[in-house]
Amino acid sequence: MTAEPVRAWIRIDAPPERVWEFFTRPEAIVRWMGEFAVLEPRPGGEFTVNVKGAPVRGRYLELDPPHRLLLSWGYAGSRELPPGASTVEVRLVRDGAGTRVHLEHRDLPEEETPGHAEGWTHYLARLAAAGTGDPGPDPGMRPVRRAAQVVAESAEG
Amino acid sequence: MSEAAFRAIGEPHRRDILRLLQDGPQPAGEIAARFDITQQAVSQHLKVLRDAGLVAVSTQGQRRLYSVRVEGLAGVRDFLAGFWPDSLARLRQAVESADDG
Repeated sequence: MTAEPVRAWIRIDAPPERVWEFFTRPEAIVRWMGEFAVLEPRPGGEFTVNVKGAPVRGRYLELDPPHRLLLSWGYAGSRELPPGASTVEVRLVRDGAGTRVHLEHRDLPEEETPGHAEGWTHYLARLAAAGTGDPGPDPGMRPVRRAAQVVAESAEG
Repeated sequence: MSEAAFRAIGEPHRRDILRLLQDGPQPAGEIAARFDITQQAVSQHLKVLRDAGLVAVSTQGQRRLYSVRVEGLAGVRDFLAGFWPDSLARLRQAVESADDG
C-alpha cells in the first residue's frame, strides 16, 4: 500500500527556463532547498541535497527541460523512506510571463497511525516556519522567525 | 505518531530543542548553551527525544551531532505535506529575487 501523493503548486513570476535552473544547478537549488547539493541533471544522474541536516538522496529519472522533471527521493539511513523509495514529479507550465510549478510526491509509505495526522501537520508547519529563515519582502508569505529567536523568546517568557 | 512522541513534545523545552534542530544539526553543548537550564537537563531532554524517535545522533569527528528525524514525528507523508508548500514558497522567493540577465 502507498499513501495518497503529496501535491503542491505555486505560481512564480519568471519563465520556466529560469525556474528549471533552480532544480538542476547546485548553486541555485541551495538558495531555496538545503545547504549542500550535488546534482547531475541527466537520466540516472545523482540528486543529493542536505536539507537542514536531512540527507535527501535520489536520482534524476526523466528530464524534459524546461517542462518536466522526474526524481527519485529518499533519505540516507531512513527505514521508512530510503533512497530511491519515492518519486517526485515537477511540471513547469508557462503562464503568461510566469510559471506555474506543479509538484507531486508519490509512492509514499502508508501511515501507520493516521489518527493524529492533522494535529501534527499543524505543529510541523510551525516548526518548519521557525526554520525557514528570512521571509523577504513577499507579502504572500507568512512571517517567520529564526529558531534561535523562538528559543530566546521562550527562555525570556 | 507514537504515544512516546506525543509525551516528548508535550514539554516546552523539548519543543524548543526540536525548533532549534530544524535549522540544522547541533552538538549537545551548543544546544545547552541556548537554554537557561543545566546541561544535564538538556541531555535528559535529548534522551527523551531520541527514545521517541524524534531526533537522531550522528558522529562527526569527535562530535556527536543531534538532528531532527524527518520521519519520526508523524510519518513521512505528514512531513512532506508541510515540507513541499514551504519549499515552493522559498523557491518562488529565490527565483523572483535572482538577478535578471
